[in-house]
Amino acid sequence: MSSAFRVMGVTKRYKDVTAVKEVFLDGNSGEILGILGPSGAGKSTLLRLIDLLESPDEGSVEIAGKKVTLHGGEACAVRRRIGMVLQKPVVFNRSVWNNLAYGLRLRGWDEDKIRKRVDEELEKLGLGDRKGKNARTLSGGEMQRLCFARSTIFEPDTLLLDEFAANLDPANVSMIENMVKEYAEQDRSRCVAIVTHNLFQARRLCDRVALMWNGEMVEVAERHKFFENPDDDRTASFVKGELVY
Amino acid sequence: MKLDMKWIAVVVVVILLVTATGAYLLLKGEEKQSLLLATTTSTQDSGLLDYILPYFEDEFVCEVDVIAVGSGTAIEYGKRGDVDVLLTHSPAAETAFIAGGYGEFKKKVMYNNFVIVGPTDDPAGTSDSTNASQAFLRIYENGTAGNVMFASRADNSGTYTKELSLWAKAGLNASTFSNDWYEETGLGMGDLLDFCEEKLDDNEYTLSDDATYYQRVEQGTIPDLNITYSGDPLLFNQYSVMPVNSTMHPHVNHTLAVGFADWLVEQETQELIASYERYGHRLFFPNADGYVSPSSLVVGYVGIQTLEPSQATATQLKETLIVENARALVRCCE
Amino acid sequence: MISDYDLVQVTLLSLYVSGVATIIGSAIGIPLGALIGLKEFGGKGLVKTVTFTLYGFPPVLSGLAVFYLFSHSGPLGFLDILFTPTAMIVAETLLVIPLVTGITITSVVEVDRSIKDTVKALGASSRQSVLTVMREAWVGLIMACMIGFGRVIAEVGAAYMVGGNIDGKTRVLTTAIMLETRMGDFEWAMALGVVLLAVAFSVYLFLRLLQEKELL
Repeated sequence: MSSAFRVMGVTKRYKDVTAVKEVFLDGNSGEILGILGPSGAGKSTLLRLIDLLESPDEGSVEIAGKKVTLHGGEACAVRRRIGMVLQKPVVFNRSVWNNLAYGLRLRGWDEDKIRKRVDEELEKLGLGDRKGKNARTLSGGEMQRLCFARSTIFEPDTLLLDEFAANLDPANVSMIENMVKEYAEQDRSRCVAIVTHNLFQARRLCDRVALMWNGEMVEVAERHKFFENPDDDRTASFVKGELVY
Repeated sequence: MKLDMKWIAVVVVVILLVTATGAYLLLKGEEKQSLLLATTTSTQDSGLLDYILPYFEDEFVCEVDVIAVGSGTAIEYGKRGDVDVLLTHSPAAETAFIAGGYGEFKKKVMYNNFVIVGPTDDPAGTSDSTNASQAFLRIYENGTAGNVMFASRADNSGTYTKELSLWAKAGLNASTFSNDWYEETGLGMGDLLDFCEEKLDDNEYTLSDDATYYQRVEQGTIPDLNITYSGDPLLFNQYSVMPVNSTMHPHVNHTLAVGFADWLVEQETQELIASYERYGHRLFFPNADGYVSPSSLVVGYVGIQTLEPSQATATQLKETLIVENARALVRCCE
Repeated sequence: MISDYDLVQVTLLSLYVSGVATIIGSAIGIPLGALIGLKEFGGKGLVKTVTFTLYGFPPVLSGLAVFYLFSHSGPLGFLDILFTPTAMIVAETLLVIPLVTGITITSVVEVDRSIKDTVKALGASSRQSVLTVMREAWVGLIMACMIGFGRVIAEVGAAYMVGGNIDGKTRVLTTAIMLETRMGDFEWAMALGVVLLAVAFSVYLFLRLLQEKELL
C-alpha cells in the first residue's frame, strides 16, 4: 500500500474565513477514504487543494510521494492522473459522446482508440442510444453518471468525489455507489476519496473515514473504529446525528 | 476538440466569398490610370462633372475619381498631397495655397452665381438694393431689429467666405453678430436651405449658390423661399483649377493633373461647360483666360478684316481666330 | 440620383468592407477577449474598463486617425491606400475590435465556474482550458461578431473620411445615403436605408443559424 496523496499541515484562507486549518491527511492506494463533516466544514476545499485547483496558504501537498504545487509546471500533468467529480454535475454543451471523449482528447489519444473506449463506456452506462444527443437533455441521475464516467474513462490513479450523489433519488444513488465500488475493485492500486455528509453512505462504502469540523481534521480512523468507538467526542456526537452545524 | 467539419467548411466558404467579392471589386477598376480630383460638394451635386468628365476620360484614356468635400477639406487634401488636382471656388484660400508652394499653378475656369434667398415676401427689402452688400446691410438692420434672421454656413466653404466678404464690404464684422438673429449652423448648402424653409416663421435669409437653390426647388423642399436678390458681380463665385505641386509630392499624377487643368480651360471644354443646363437653367459661365464665347467670335471675325497685318498681336489673334472661327461659325449656324 | 451609380456595386462594396472588417476584427477580438477574461494579470480591471469605454469610440474619430496615418503627408502614406476600400477596412476594423473583445470578455467570464473547474480537473492545459471555455461561450461569441458587424455596416463617419465616397470605388450604402440626403433626395436615401437593413438582415440570419447550431 503506497501513498496516493498526502496533505501536510495545509491551511487555506478566504478573506476572513479560514476554510481549512492545518489539516493532515493521507490517501492510500487500494482504499476508499471517506471525508465526513457538516456543511461548511472545509471538505470541498480540501479536495480542491489535493487536485491542485487551489494553492494552500500554508503546508504542502504530495501526490504519489512527490511534492507538487499549483504553480509548478507539473500541475497539469498531476491533474491528469487525478479524476475529480464536482458537487454540481456539469456537462459540456455537447453530445453525450463528446462529453465522454473530452478527457481522452485532452490527453491526445488516437481517434480510433477513443472511439472504441467511448462506445464501450456508453454501453456500460446504458446511454448508447443517446450518444448523439446534447448531454444537457439527460436526467439528473444520467448526468451524474455521465460525469462520473467522464472522469474515470482515462483511468486515473486517484479519484476524488465531492458529494457526488447529493441530489439523487435512491435508485440512482445506488447505481453510482456501485460504480464507485467497481472502480476501486478493478485496480487495487487506485485510491478513492469521497466527500459526503451522509453517514450511511460512508458506512456502506468506505474503508477509512475522516471527520472534518470547522476547517479542522478532527479524527481519521478505520471504519469500524470511527463509528463504534471513536477517540474524539465530536466524532461520537457526529455519528450520533448531532453536530450537524 | 473537434469542431463540426461542416461548419468549418461553411465559414471557409464565406471567407472565400467575401475575399472574392473584394478582389473582383478592386481589380476591375485597375486597368486604366486614374486622376484623383478633390472638389466641393456643391460642384459635384450640380452634376457638371458627370457631364464633362466623360469627355476627358475618353481623350486621356483614364478614370477621374472625384472626392467631394468642403472647400477647406479639399485644400487640405491638396496640401497633403492626397489628391492630384483641385477644383475649388475659394479665391483667398487658393491664392494662399499657391503662395505656400502647394500648387503648380492656378487657372480660372468658370463662375457661377450666388444668390440671396429668403421668404417670398422679402421682409428685409433686399430686392431693390443697389448691390449685394447693401442687401446684406438691410438684412443686418432688420435682423438686429428682430424682423428677420440669417442662417450662415459657418464652415470653411466658399459660400461662407463669400458671405463674410459681403458683410465686410457693408462695413460689418460678422463675428460680432448676436445669435438672436445670426445663426451659425455648420450645415451643408442643401441642408441649410431646407433649414430656412423649416424656420420660415423666423423669416430666415441665407446666401446660396444658384445650382443648389434650383436643385432644392426641383426637389420641392423649399416652396416658400425665393431668390430675393441676384445678378450683382459681387455675387460671382469664381472656380479655379490647381494641380498639386509634384515636386513637393512626387507621387501625384502630374501629367494627368496638368493635362486636366489645361483641358478645362481649352476653348472646346469651356463651351461644353457653357452648354450645361440643369433645373431649366444654365448654371456655369466659363471665364478662363483666352476663352472667347462664340457670340464674341463672330464679332471678332468681322473685326479682323480691318486689322493691320504688321501688328504682331493681330497676327497671333488672326491665326487663332481663323481656326476657331471655322468651328464657331459652323456651330453658330447649325 | 441612385440611377447615376450602380446600386449593386455599392451594396457589394458595403458588404465587402464591413464583412472583412468584422472578420479581421473578430479574429483579433475573440482570442484577445478570451485571454483577458480568463487570465489573471495586473491591471486587468483597467484593461476591461478601457475596452468597454471604446464601445463609444466615435467612428469619425477612427476615420480621422486612419486618415492621418495613411495620408501622403503621414507616416504610412507611401502605402498609397488612402481613398481606397483597404483604408476603409482598416478604420472599420478598429471599431470592431473593442466591441468584439468586450463582449467576448463578458461571455467567457459568465461561463459557470463549475465548468471551468471541471475542465481543469479533467486535466486541461491552460490553452485547452481557454479553448473549451470559448466553445462553451459560443452563443456569446457569435453575438460579439453580430454586434461588431452591426456597428460597421451602419457607420458613415470613418467610411467617408478615409474613403472619400468616390463613385465606383469607395461609395458604400451609408455614404450614398449621406449623398442622397445632402442633395435632398430623401426618398432615395430611405430606399438605400432599406437596402442596408435587408443586407444586415441576411447576414444576421446566417449568424443566427450559426449561433443556434449546437456544436455537439
